[in-house]
Amino acid sequence: MIDETDELIQRAARSLRALPATNPLATARIIAAVRARRAQAPSRLALVAQWMREPTLSAASAAFLAAAALVVGFVARGAVRTVDGSSPDIATTSEMPLPTGTAPALPTANTRGEGVAVAFLFEARNAKSVAVVGDFNNWDATSSPMKRFGPDGPWTTTVRAKPGRHVYAFLVDGSTVVADPRAPRARDLDYGGDASVLMVTTP
Amino acid sequence: MTSFRRLTFAVVLLAVATAARAAAQDYSRLALIRDDVTRNVVRGLLGGAFSRGVPIDPLMAKALEGVAKKASTTAIRDAMNALEKRMRKAQDLLGKDASVDELAAGADALSVGVSEKTLTRMRRAAPRRSIALELGVLTELVARGVGPSKASEMVLSLMARNATGVQLTALSNDVQGDVAAGLNPEVALTLRGKGIMSLLPPPPSTNTLQPRPK
Repeated sequence: MIDETDELIQRAARSLRALPATNPLATARIIAAVRARRAQAPSRLALVAQWMREPTLSAASAAFLAAAALVVGFVARGAVRTVDGSSPDIATTSEMPLPTGTAPALPTANTRGEGVAVAFLFEARNAKSVAVVGDFNNWDATSSPMKRFGPDGPWTTTVRAKPGRHVYAFLVDGSTVVADPRAPRARDLDYGGDASVLMVTTP
Repeated sequence: MTSFRRLTFAVVLLAVATAARAAAQDYSRLALIRDDVTRNVVRGLLGGAFSRGVPIDPLMAKALEGVAKKASTTAIRDAMNALEKRMRKAQDLLGKDASVDELAAGADALSVGVSEKTLTRMRRAAPRRSIALELGVLTELVARGVGPSKASEMVLSLMARNATGVQLTALSNDVQGDVAAGLNPEVALTLRGKGIMSLLPPPPSTNTLQPRPK
């Protein structure tokens, strides 16, 4: 058992309880530094206000970003919306196997790029101009003009169509709408007249 | 003016410019209509449709189709009005995220007598991909003489079994050929449909319990 009244133990206890001596100058420096830091630190609200005030994006930068977004958007929009055969990544009719004979045949197609490139063939020896018009080119007569395949050959062209059902016809000499004799007929409930059906499958 | 305000102004300007360009792009084809009266009527109808959130490309196409077929201004106006009405209905049935192609195909399906319920079921069967092809096949089957309800059930069954676009298009083309050869349209659909079904796995069913592993 330990005798707490022992002189040696009491001395040891006193030395352990005593705090180490502090340097009053150092303590004062620390307190002053903390006060100064606290006085300089802005509140959270002030931080947000400062973020909004600071010129994080100049007017020139904003204008440049807007212009870049417009260009990117228009290019993407044009790429998505283009349906005609003028895109350079579509095979030309001379590269495409063309349907032959008189049997009903779906236009031949390849599948490069968006949609499916479809080759059309139409025989009209006395025609001066032929264009294919349909859902796939918004019935725009200027969109898909056809070219003669040889001096007296058929008229051909290639257009790009998305998967689905399309109604189309040939516009002869800019004034006469003629259905494709090689394809099933479509009944036109709005205007009457002849048109044909093209089913385009997924690539 | 702070930079934050400048940025906001630039974003608004960008949105306005984009919308203006979109409108200008679509209206530019009005120049293809030579008759002044028809062009003004079409412009007015396109403006109304645009303000109601209906895509105007199919409407412009319908107008140009009428011009190519030498239809009267009245006929063009009636056809555009009818198409806009069907597209708005298709928009309701297929959802606001439906693509222009889907809306045009949905409008076509409604025009041949496909029910509104069928369009809703088709969207439910494929909520996250385009069903323009499926709608086109359905329209074509009905146009060839198959009853709308029978054609709808067949297309929905094939969709449930994940039939490919090639298989669906083949069905449509085969039925076309059979009907042209004199076969009854519904008989042709049944026969051709069975042929494709035999190639496909059964539809996944949530009600069917899987056999317990031993």
